[in-house]
Amino acid sequence: MVISKGVPIFRVGIFGKKCYLRFCKFLRVLSIKEKVFSQLIKDNQGLIIKVSRLYTNSLEDEQDLFQEIVLQLWRSYDTFKGNSKISTWMYRVALNTAITLFRKKTKSPQTDELMDFHYPDFIEDDDEKQQQISLLYKVVKMLPNVERAIVMMYLDDLPYRDISENLGITEVNARVKMNRLKKTLKELMEKHA
Amino acid sequence: MPEFNIDQFKKTWQEQAIQPKYNSDEIRLMLNKSSRNYVKYILGISIAEFLVILGMNFYYIFLGDDTNSYLNILEKLGVKNNADLIADLSHLYFVLKVISLILTGFFVFKFYKNYKHIKIESNLTKLILQIIKFKNTVNYFILANVFLIILYTIALGIFASWALSNQNITLTHPTLVGFYVGLLLMMILSVVLIWVYYRIVYGIILKKLGKNLEELQKIELGQS
Repeated sequence: MVISKGVPIFRVGIFGKKCYLRFCKFLRVLSIKEKVFSQLIKDNQGLIIKVSRLYTNSLEDEQDLFQEIVLQLWRSYDTFKGNSKISTWMYRVALNTAITLFRKKTKSPQTDELMDFHYPDFIEDDDEKQQQISLLYKVVKMLPNVERAIVMMYLDDLPYRDISENLGITEVNARVKMNRLKKTLKELMEKHA
Repeated sequence: MPEFNIDQFKKTWQEQAIQPKYNSDEIRLMLNKSSRNYVKYILGISIAEFLVILGMNFYYIFLGDDTNSYLNILEKLGVKNNADLIADLSHLYFVLKVISLILTGFFVFKFYKNYKHIKIESNLTKLILQIIKFKNTVNYFILANVFLIILYTIALGIFASWALSNQNITLTHPTLVGFYVGLLLMMILSVVLIWVYYRIVYGIILKKLGKNLEELQKIELGQS
């Protein structure tokens, strides 16, 4: 379906019935597309929530980042043609949005601020698991932005090839960084556990 | 505490249960934030222009009295202002005002009816269609007012020639032509002003909205 250049909304209605009908048809198709996309996001929102949570310090910022990531995913929806896995595409867009957009907005969190960080949406898990996850979030959030992304993808078992592609670094570089990060995380864990 | 190893945390991390926060409708709302804003501008401007024109109509219908100024013009043409002429002109104005009032009343009703149908929280597709319908009412209202301007001009022109012939006044050629050309210019100026306003206000907003929708259309074409 093709509509004439620049959606002819100006001529819609009293300016031409044909244009109006074409426009309606376009909107109907668009509506179906929106439905499919929003279902996709709904089913995979856990990933976006995790990224949003890792890169923000308040619930409000977290929601803002979530919205921005969804918007960026929608904009890049046409580049995702099913060649790569949905999760890889989502990771790439979500992390890049978080890193570039929120680098300016939020300063790196201080250790003190993290003490009363809350996780309102966790389903009540058994206590030990819950504590482990809280601790993990706490220490990962102490890392710089790019390093945070590497650890998150590593924890989610993404291969180094995908990690390096998503961040635009070489595979070797990603491995080296992750090995260093393991040590850093160990130190942080021991300090804050 | 046993020695920390991040690999031991992988399983826990991957199995962390996260409560879904957003449903499909909420996600759809997020998609169209910027388009939605432009659509809201159109709604806002439509309401504003409707109110301005409505205010102008009411002013002329209830408060404005153009009888004297028009009689002055006629006097300059040589027409004697007697009681009959004033009464006839008042009748003409009355009829024109009643037409304006009926027209305005009809549009106020339509405007309100369409406005009530608009639900900002509905999805972008529905919202745009609702706004197009609403915008059309405003378009027709403005168009009707342009016709009213033309009708006024023609009626006043006919009245002038009727008054002149009634009092057996033959105007010299340049004066008569000057009068009608002035009347015509006034009418054209009003219509052009409305047209220019439309191009500027809607030109800018619709261009931006069009760009947003084009972006969405690209996705549409890329997927199909």
